[in-house]
Amino acid sequence: MTAGLDNLKHIVVLMMENRSFDHMLGGLSLVMEGGKKKHPGINGLTGDEWNPDTQENPVKVQPNAKFQSQLDTDPDHHFPGVDLQIYGQLPGAPRVANMKGFVKDYFRQTKNVARSHNIMSYFKPDDLPVLTNLATEYALFNGWFSSIPGPTICNRAFAHYGTSFGQVGMDIFYTLDKIPSIYERMIQANPRRAAKIYYYDEQSSTMEIVNLLKDQPQIFALFDQFLADCAGNTLPDYSFIEPCYNDHPGADGGQILASDQHPDHNVREGERFIGRVYNAIRNNPTLWTNTVLLIVYDEHGGIYDHVIPPNCTPGGYTAKADATETGEDFTFNRLGVRVPAVLVSPWIPRSTIIPGTEDQTNGRIFEHACIPATVTSFFLGTYDNRTDREKKALNFLGPLTDTMRPDDDCIVFGDLE
Amino acid sequence: MPPKVIPVPKTDAGAYDPTRKAGTLLRSQALHLREALIKRVHELTTLLATDMNSLKSEADVSAYVHKATALLHPHAARPAQK
Repeated sequence: MTAGLDNLKHIVVLMMENRSFDHMLGGLSLVMEGGKKKHPGINGLTGDEWNPDTQENPVKVQPNAKFQSQLDTDPDHHFPGVDLQIYGQLPGAPRVANMKGFVKDYFRQTKNVARSHNIMSYFKPDDLPVLTNLATEYALFNGWFSSIPGPTICNRAFAHYGTSFGQVGMDIFYTLDKIPSIYERMIQANPRRAAKIYYYDEQSSTMEIVNLLKDQPQIFALFDQFLADCAGNTLPDYSFIEPCYNDHPGADGGQILASDQHPDHNVREGERFIGRVYNAIRNNPTLWTNTVLLIVYDEHGGIYDHVIPPNCTPGGYTAKADATETGEDFTFNRLGVRVPAVLVSPWIPRSTIIPGTEDQTNGRIFEHACIPATVTSFFLGTYDNRTDREKKALNFLGPLTDTMRPDDDCIVFGDLE
Repeated sequence: MPPKVIPVPKTDAGAYDPTRKAGTLLRSQALHLREALIKRVHELTTLLATDMNSLKSEADVSAYVHKATALLHPHAARPAQK
């Protein structure tokens, strides 16, 4: 065990909404310095990736992503839509995954050829100073994928339970008694461990309503409490943070903006939220040295990524054809589209990159089942009552080393208040 | 030497739009919360149906009070102390 792991006391996960790896971070591969690529290990964009539109014209990726109002028609990210995005054609005839169906699928939403091209947009790194600096200052996963080629609820379930209990959609699921959530595992452990889901406020609430249904109100707290827990050294062993999911009036008559980055919410507000979470940990010298922060997105939101999702351990469930709406069963043997995932700790060397599918020798594949797998393994040790898929999911704490970077070597974010 | 400070731009003025049409995720969230409320109503109805004359012992009362408090003040609800 490394010194970084020996010192680790808190794991914090911040899960954002609906943006793909290439859309947010793919532009880092195009940054040049001294005539060479500045980040050669990042599996981002070459600038030549393309999709055909509905008129069979090639549409290249473009560095023209906007913070808002560009994807105001929500891109499709439900199972049949993502299936088309990945395979470029509908089921039926023999096909192979090629990541060529994003523009065609977005046309189904927009009914407008020009607007359908927006799905190929990506941000220039300078547009996203928080996410890109964290990705290049700490550790970036080249191969972190959403757990299911589908929407939010089933993907977030993997972060809480290591499974979606056979669901591939937005339905709430009830057959949960066999596998406890990571929070239940923690608070029922002997000795008891502390775990919390921090949601932004009561107007935004949580997407993890199953735990409310299961009478687990004690695992919930507000984001203000997270800030207080960071400042007061009362952070639980494990924290899961949910951003604000909607625009609504504040208690004092002000404006509370959605910070989840779900289209068409403002991406810059999400940047500021990520920065606030980071600063809350970074600005407490004790917490900073014994906490690791994972920033990850639940799914790609229908937005282009060039990496073909790999196969995975199935996990014992089958979604029938009427649930997938593709005419085919799904056995949970393939991951969803790749998402941004960044690991932050002073024990991580600058510019650490964990290779993914591009490296057939050293590449490692991560998905949201890695979250309960890692938290369980680190805090509870052996734990049998979970899926095979979670048991085989990789531990994401590998980048923590024996060497802690000096305080002046670790960035802070300014202008956040 | 102080750490490097990365300035974070402010969110664009005019980004706030509470009249924006709610998407699938938010509508699903509201539906799922409704499911949780229905379960809570069922629990409330069951509790209200308790025959108060059946509460004889301190254990009877404490069990009732525990359930009532959990419904009225859920953030305070905890398993019974050992």
